[in-house]
Amino acid sequence: MNDKSLRGVSKSGDAESLTRRGRLIRVTATLIGCALLLTGTAVGDDDDFPFGPFRVYASADPPGAPVADTRVEAVDTAGLRRILTQADTGIRRAEIEGQLDRFTAEPSRLSTVATAYQRRNPGAAPLREVSVVVRWHEVRDGRPTGRSWDATTVVWRP
Amino acid sequence: MTRLAGWLTEPVPRGRVAWMRTLVYLFVAADLVFFTPWVRHHGELPGSFYRPLLIGRLLHLPAPTPSLVDTVFWLLLVAACAAATGRAPRALGWTVAILYLEWMVVAMSYGKVDHDRFALLVALVALPTAGPARHRDTIPTERGGWALRVTQLAAVATYFLAAWAKLRFGGLDWLTGATLNWALLRRGTALGQALTRVPELLVAAQFGIMAFELLSPLVFVLPRRGRQLAVAFFYAFHLGVFATITISFIPQQVALASFLPLERLGAFLLPRRSRSSGGANRTDEAPYLLDRRGWGLGRRRQRAGGGAAG
Repeated sequence: MNDKSLRGVSKSGDAESLTRRGRLIRVTATLIGCALLLTGTAVGDDDDFPFGPFRVYASADPPGAPVADTRVEAVDTAGLRRILTQADTGIRRAEIEGQLDRFTAEPSRLSTVATAYQRRNPGAAPLREVSVVVRWHEVRDGRPTGRSWDATTVVWRP
Repeated sequence: MTRLAGWLTEPVPRGRVAWMRTLVYLFVAADLVFFTPWVRHHGELPGSFYRPLLIGRLLHLPAPTPSLVDTVFWLLLVAACAAATGRAPRALGWTVAILYLEWMVVAMSYGKVDHDRFALLVALVALPTAGPARHRDTIPTERGGWALRVTQLAAVATYFLAAWAKLRFGGLDWLTGATLNWALLRRGTALGQALTRVPELLVAAQFGIMAFELLSPLVFVLPRRGRQLAVAFFYAFHLGVFATITISFIPQQVALASFLPLERLGAFLLPRRSRSSGGANRTDEAPYLLDRRGWGLGRRRQRAGGGAAG
């Protein structure tokens, strides 16, 4: 005794089976999903989320190249210099790095970091400078030497 | 085609679907509160920091504001907790899927896209189609089988296509490059930092990662014991990654649970029933056997005495 529903499911005894149509819809959906994901992996980019390439740690860094460690620094009106963390601004380090091209092209965009800091810390002294600083760790023969140097990539002052 | 369709929709016990739902929806609730609380801060960021993804532009999704983000947060939290009970699986499941996708757009539209949750998103889209399922329910379901199968496929695709991305962006140089060294120097734990002193080991690990990711689809053709070991290896890999660079890939780990016989959790977590009822909603504990390959349900074998167990 089959109790066929419009939802592509039939029940025979205790087992719940799909109708031909229900099965076809699912196979088609699977194939479309696979096609989108393969296309995104082959030619797409992060912008195509969720079908973009899974490129986390996918770039190759030459063994002797220095390693970049990015941070955001700020100076407030009291003259205090400090590192702005994700807790201070709500912005992840990777998000700063992901938008670094926009900041370097237009340093005034860094004012958004100051605004974000002010919104999260309304009682704190206002910032009079925000900068993105990269600490380059020296690497020799694949091993860090322990030496490093800082390079300021972009600075914003109101 | 018929064989493919049969494999994609290989039946599983409804109980497995019910447990997967509970796990996935509880994770969504926990993700909001514990794992990625930073998403909520995006509502406070100035609009000029917003860099909408293609999906956001295509759907004309609004730029996040504090009220929009708070609304999605609370609706999603309530819907996910309700969906974890297994009630109204279609309505609540779609509600969670749509709200979580919007939540992800809010999360990823600020210059950084994470690659750890494709399989979870597939699970969220597939589970609402899996039909009703109770945790003790042993009735085999093909639509439930499809939901779990596509989640498995997405989880394994995440590994395999990550290898493809490495070859696309890094090329063969990735194998002998300094990617792991770079990751460990930037965010390594004490254990991770110690590993940077042995670059040969890191290069060997890169060969190992590439091999594991390229071979990961074999999990679908391994016999049952081999498959269990492969899934255990996947989990061990994530444990190792977390121990060295504190990236948990926990959404991927949740999706990997689609490989596990979750219905067995009932024996540990649910109170024992003193008697079982008959008919279509029968909830006896194990009248079905796993098939020879152990994927889903094989031939049903009734126990003597009418299938009652317990």
